Amino acid sequence: MVLDIDEKNLKDGVLGLVLALVEIIRDALRIQAVKRMDSGSLTEEETERLGEAFMDMDKAIEEIKKEQGISRSVQAIRDGLDDLVNDMLTDIADSPGNDSTPIPSIMEKKRPQQRLAA
Amino acid sequence: MINNNGKNPEGEGRYIYCVVETDRKKIFKNFGVDGEDVYTIRYRDISAVVSRCLAKPYQSNDSELVKKWLIQHAQVVDYFFERYDATLPSAFDTVIKGGDQEAKSWLKGEYSALKGKMEKVRGKQEFGAQIFCDSKSLVDAVRKGSVEIHKMLNEIESKPRGLAYMYEQKLKEVMKKELENKMEKYARDFYEAIRSHVDDLKAEKIKKGEGDQQMLMNLSCLTPKDRVPELAGELDRINGLRNFSVKFTGPWPAYSFMA
Repeated sequence: MVLDIDEKNLKDGVLGLVLALVEIIRDALRIQAVKRMDSGSLTEEETERLGEAFMDMDKAIEEIKKEQGISRSVQAIRDGLDDLVNDMLTDIADSPGNDSTPIPSIMEKKRPQQRLAA
Repeated sequence: MINNNGKNPEGEGRYIYCVVETDRKKIFKNFGVDGEDVYTIRYRDISAVVSRCLAKPYQSNDSELVKKWLIQHAQVVDYFFERYDATLPSAFDTVIKGGDQEAKSWLKGEYSALKGKMEKVRGKQEFGAQIFCDSKSLVDAVRKGSVEIHKMLNEIESKPRGLAYMYEQKLKEVMKKELENKMEKYARDFYEAIRSHVDDLKAEKIKKGEGDQQMLMNLSCLTPKDRVPELAGELDRINGLRNFSVKFTGPWPAYSFMA
């Protein structure tokens, strides 16, 4: 299991997931906002208001995480999701193309020492 | 212990540790995974180093047991690696279905491929080289070194709260991009530098680091024994650079170069 959800309390686990998703959505919104700011389609006043709205959102998220003591599990969930996505991208990059039947290689590559260290 | 009275050959398997260049029969009692006897099965001038097992991989939820098996596997392979200069290591849990005959048939079928691989690894060793960079220092260097970033920092000072926040986000994006470009250039330079000292080089998956030390590259290097000091020298040089450190492991049998 890649995701390391805080299991001491299921409520914390669910809340952690929700906060992780809120942060991810906020990040996506923020990227879009910066793009619009760059493209010149926002007035200074609109940009100022957007900035303040994001500041309020950041503050609220931090407060919830602090009050519920879930900052670390939220970070762990986000790291786990990052790893998942990275693995997916690596698998896509490494896949041999359109071969329908991959030839199983008896001699694989991982050292036992690497698995011991993992 | 495998208790097979020979009446059910389909259920048994041969656990493979490695293939070596020898026609001498070898037997090591209780030396293998799960305490099984290790022995060689010969075809012409090569032999598979095996132990008897069931026709399926070793699996357990007991991580201490799995650790023990991994160590036993590594010990067998290391024994042969130290004595035979063209050892082809198998990954943990490589099993051939069947008995000695099937293992011999496999050797026969793969003979030229295996001999080819032996030439590729003869007299060579595998090393792991992980290069880490101090991301905090690099970020500082990026911040100080860029005129555009300086400009943006000054602009932010004079803006009202909300605008300052948005410009800060923009700045973070710019810095991230510059940092990525810088790291990519370092990675490419290091790769080329190391490549000139090895026979083969593989970029492996990068593991996310804790704190400021970020893994920049994770390399498996295949190099002849007499060129190892050269490789070590190059990695030493990189390790000596400000903001970078190298973790150098090995020698291993050429696990990563068997494909």
